[in-house]
Order: sequence, then C-alpha cells, then structure tokens
Amino acid sequence: MLQAISLSKKFKTKEVVREINMELLAGESVGLLGPNGAGKSTTISMLSSLVIPTSGDVLWNDKSISKNPEPLRKTLGVVPQEIALYPELSARENLAFFGRIYGLKGELLETRITEVLKKIGLSDRQKDIVKTFSGGMKRRLNIGAALLHKPSMLIMDEPTVGIDPQSRTYILETVKQFVEEGMTLLYTSHYMEEVEMLCDKIYIMDQGRIIAYGTKEELKELVSDNQTIELKADLFTANFEKALGERFPKATLRIEEKILTISMSKSEEPLATIFAIAAANNVVITSAIVKVPSLEDVFLHLTGKALRD
Amino acid sequence: MLFSLIIKQMKMLIRNKQPLIILLVMPLVLITILSNALGSMMDGGEEVAIQANLLIVDDSSWVQEEEAIKLFLEQEGVTGPPMDALLSQFKNSDPVELLKNTILTSDEMKKYIATDYKQTVDLKVTRQDKNIDGILSIPSNFRLNYIKSVYFNNADFAELSLYLNQDNDIRASIIESVLADWKSGYTQSAALLDVGLSPEKVMSSVNSVEKIEQVLESNERKIPASIYYTVGMLVMFALYIPAFLAGFALQEVQWKVYDRILLAGVSPILYTLSIFFTGTLVAFIQQAIMLLFGMFVLGIEWISLEGMTVIVISYSVFVGALSALMTTLQFRTKTEGIANVFNGIFITVFSFLGGSFFNIRDISEILGKIGDLTPNGATMSAILSIQKGQDLSVIWPFMFAIYLLVVVCVLLSIVFFPRRGVTE
Repeated sequence: MLQAISLSKKFKTKEVVREINMELLAGESVGLLGPNGAGKSTTISMLSSLVIPTSGDVLWNDKSISKNPEPLRKTLGVVPQEIALYPELSARENLAFFGRIYGLKGELLETRITEVLKKIGLSDRQKDIVKTFSGGMKRRLNIGAALLHKPSMLIMDEPTVGIDPQSRTYILETVKQFVEEGMTLLYTSHYMEEVEMLCDKIYIMDQGRIIAYGTKEELKELVSDNQTIELKADLFTANFEKALGERFPKATLRIEEKILTISMSKSEEPLATIFAIAAANNVVITSAIVKVPSLEDVFLHLTGKALRD
Repeated sequence: MLFSLIIKQMKMLIRNKQPLIILLVMPLVLITILSNALGSMMDGGEEVAIQANLLIVDDSSWVQEEEAIKLFLEQEGVTGPPMDALLSQFKNSDPVELLKNTILTSDEMKKYIATDYKQTVDLKVTRQDKNIDGILSIPSNFRLNYIKSVYFNNADFAELSLYLNQDNDIRASIIESVLADWKSGYTQSAALLDVGLSPEKVMSSVNSVEKIEQVLESNERKIPASIYYTVGMLVMFALYIPAFLAGFALQEVQWKVYDRILLAGVSPILYTLSIFFTGTLVAFIQQAIMLLFGMFVLGIEWISLEGMTVIVISYSVFVGALSALMTTLQFRTKTEGIANVFNGIFITVFSFLGGSFFNIRDISEILGKIGDLTPNGATMSAILSIQKGQDLSVIWPFMFAIYLLVVVCVLLSIVFFPRRGVTE
C-alpha cells in the first residue's frame, strides 16, 4: 500500500503541493485529475521517491520511503510525461538499456524485451531509431520502458499528451489491459474521460490541494442536484450572457467557441427561459442538450473553472 | 550496470554527428593542414628544434695585453720587425677571435648556438639565469698566457672556465661539444704548427657543427611539424569530450531519463563514475586514433611506447575526471552555461598556453611555464620530451601536474554534487 501523509512541497517560496493525503491499495486503479499546474507531476514525483517532500511523508507498506526508497522502486514502474527515451537508439536498444539497469540480463532480458514490444505493438519497429517514430509510437515505447522489470505498480503521468486520437485509444486500451491483469495504477491526466474510463477511485487536485476524492459515482453525487445544459449558436452576444447571468445568478456559464455550457440546479427548468432570453438578444440557438453529470461538471462545480482552462 | 551506462554513453556519442565531427574529423583535418602548411618552416632548416644560449665573458683583449706581450717578446729576445711579424701572426691565430668571429658566427653554427658577449660580470648572479645554457669565462691575461704556453713552451698554460646549466642536458652538450672542439684545436696549436698546420684551419666551424649534430643525433631528435601538430591537436581536442558528456547528462535530466535511471536503483555516485569512465575511455580511443593517424598517414615514428602509454592513459584519466566535474556542475546549475564557457574560453586559452598552435616559449618563458601547468600543456610537453628522445624520467613532473588536477576535479565533483537530487 502506498500512502501520502500530509505531503507538501515548496520550490523556493512557491508551495506547489499542500498537505496532500492519498492512499493507493494493491490492485486499485486511482486517478489524479487536475488542470495543468495543479501539482500532479510534483505529487507523483514525491510518491515515486524522486523528489523529497518539504513536509509530510510517503509510506510504502507502512514504512517511510525517505530513508530507504529501494523496496518501493523495485516494484514501481513510472511513465513520465516527457518522452524519457534515447532518440538516437533503437526501440530495442532503449528497452535493453532500461532492462539492464534493472538487473535483467541474458535470455531473461531478451524475453522481456520481446514481450514488452509485443504488448506495446512495436515488434515490427524494434530496430528502428526512436527519433524516426511518430509521437504515438514514442509514447508507447515510453510506457514499455517502465514495464521491463514487471512492476506491480505503475504510475503514469499524462501518458497521452500530444498524440493523435488513434494512438491515444491504443494506449488507453493497453493501460486498461494492465488494470484488468491486476496491476496497481496511479494515472494522472487532465482528460477526465481517460480517468473516468480507467480508474476506480479519483482524486481531484487544484492549486496544489486535493479538493475532492472518491469513486466516480461518489464524485458525481456531488453534482447530482445539478444539470448541465450545452447550447450551440453561431454567436453568443455579451448581452445574452449578461441577461442569463441576471436570470440565473447561481448558474455557472462557460463559453467555448460556439458552445455555451450552463451548470445549474436541477430544481430549475430553464430551457424555455433560455430560449426566450436568446430571442430577446438576437441569438439563434441551433441545438440544446441537457447532459448527465460528468467529472468535468464535478470539477466545474468545485472550482468554478473547466479542467482544461 | 556500470558497463551498461558506459556502453549507452558511447552509443550516444557515436550516433551524434556533432561530437564525431569535433572529436575526430576536425583534429585529423587540422593535423594534416598544419603539418603540411607549417612543415616547411619547422622541418626545412629555417628553424631548429633546439638552440643553446652561450654567454662569453671576455676579460682579455689585445688592447690591454699588447704591451705585456711585447715586453714578454723583448725578454725572449724578439725585437724590431720580427716582433711585428710575430704579433701579426698571433693576432691572426688568436683562438678567442677565431671563436667569436669565425666559429660562432657561421650560419650553420648560429642555428644551434646564440651568443651574447659581456665583460666582467658577477658570475654567481649570471649563473642563476635559467635562460643561459653556458658561460665561457676568459680571464684577463688569457692571450699573454696562451702565447707563452703555445709558442714558447712556457709552463703557465692559459686557463678558461666553462659553466654549463644542468637544466637542459642537450643544450649544455651542444655548447660543451663546440667549445671542447675549439679548445682541443688551440691546445694542440704548437704541435699543429710543428707539422705545418695553422690552428685556424683545425678550429673550423665545420668540425664543430658536425660535433653538434652528433650530439643531437645521440641525445635528441628534431620534432617535425607532423609530430608537433599531431600532439597539439590531440591534447586540445580531448578537452571537448567533457562538454559533450556533460551535455548528454543534462539532456538525460531534462528528458527525465535520469529519473528512470535513479528509479532503477543506480546511485548518483555510480552514474557520475560512469561519466568518469566513459570520458577516460573516449579520450583514450580518440588519442589512439590520432596517434595511429600520425603513424600511418603522416609517417610518424612514435618512440618510447611505454612513456607514450603512461602519458596517454594519464591524460585520459584527467579528461574522465573533468567530465565528471562538468557533469556535476551542470547538474547543479541545470544549464549548459558551464560547458559553453569551457568550450568557448577555457579550451582556447589552454590551447594557446599549452602550445597547441605554436611553441609559446618562443614568446615568453613565463607563459611557457604557465602552459606546463595546464593539463594539455603538461601532456604536450611530456610527449614532445620523450619524442625528442629524452629519458622517461622527464615526464614525471608533468604527470604529477596531471594527477594533481585529477584529484582537484574529483574533490570538486564531490563538493558540488547536488545533495538534494537533480530532479528538483
């Protein structure tokens, strides 16, 4: 079991992680959700023993890792957000190097490399130099490099950043397979749908703090009284937005391109009113969808801003 | 594990074009160009590898001794026109004048001996001057005594004093051989006169030059441009290795590969050691390639293999230690500033002082001595010394300087290694 107890981290005067408490049980898949700059990467760096906390502690099987991180490191695979590979080496050479520094050698090393290459779907490109790979292939190899020593726990820091949808789907399916095989997973992302798909338990982080945690259902319960209405129009005028705000003072409004998202209490039945205000302000609504609550709504509800803001 | 790290670093170097160009292609091209362009100047007799400095302190002269000589001749019963004829004969075969105006002023001899003249100096003080390789002291009554002993078989033989600087055996040997040849000519003057030979014919500069060449041949060989520039480029371009290795290490931190290495249980000390060993190995291979290039392409015959091995290994160890230090400093500063400053400024200054482009001692002896304290300068001086054929023992002071710098680099690496880790 991996535990974070009152974990804080300060870089010079800036406190990037504040009093975090987390728990990761064997076989669990846990998501750490938060916008860019929330402190997710620093948190997982502390959890994986790479960064020393300013205060608080990380326990691995009830023992602090501050003095002896080795037992944790042996069972841990970390997939950093960066492509932590050697671009001048081939895929196989990269895996061979990371396998060797974990103490693998000879036939065992060769077998593990072959298994990992198969798992990440790069067997046919194993001899190619990494710098010739697409972004998605690099990301897959980045994951593969963390799997060679058969870790029982995997920490993944935004493993799908900056890749095409096809590669993203491939990676998510691969990670899902790890979870189904019983691997303990800590997955950080600012894509709520990824966390929703992969994780049983979710921690939501903002400005260095855990602002909510629980299962998906428990978190959505937080916004069960809420409804989200998504409106589409060619143009939302300032007057329309102002009028909506005055009519629904407790609602949260967010405009993204040609979509207006309104989060408000379920007790209100606003559609007719919204259309009336739109007509009065010369806004032509082309579609209106009333959505079931998502983790995005949870985040919006808790922080008043979108995850990707 | 250490082996895996070294192999990986070697692969990174080999698969990057920039290090290959700077560490191998550039020095080989420069060696070829400089050896050929400056070869005619260094090898063509315009310049010699060695030139001794001789100071002649002459307290004797015809002006002050002529009266005493005339008095002596009168006492011997020689007067009138025979005395004048004899005096003229003495002047023509005066050994000091022969030495000054014939032997030492010949074009051939001037290549090997630079002569300076003074009258009445404090010998104790003058002998401290390290730039003077030999002092010939001619006493005030030398000419009178010479005439007495050679022409009149007088027992008072003319004595000279020769002081040689022991700091440079070769230069001292050159002076000694020339003056011994000259001295043997004039001491045998009487016998030569008996068999009808004049002393000036025997004391010719041709004989002396042959003697010098014999000395040089037996003691020291000339350093041609090919050897000079192969060694010069070898020591200079090895200094580029640390910046490349430190640069790769910083990239590993930036790419988070270093995190992966730490998570695999590799300690920062082991990682730094791997940089040290890689630097040593790469420097050794680089130097071996350049020496082999010199041998097979430029036709250089490297002598004293054991001495060369000691020097090349020692310099490689220094390059390894400097690589570790530079990696440590870049980890601490998290920028490539240190490597850029080292490549841009330090290597240029070190190469200038160390003599990679020309012999700095031609400009200033002090700069030459400072150059010997630089790692490249010390290595270059050590290699050139044994390539001249000097004894292996001459390299130890240079090797001491190299290992002192190795110790300094290792200590600084320990002091500056970031205690709280590199990731933060």
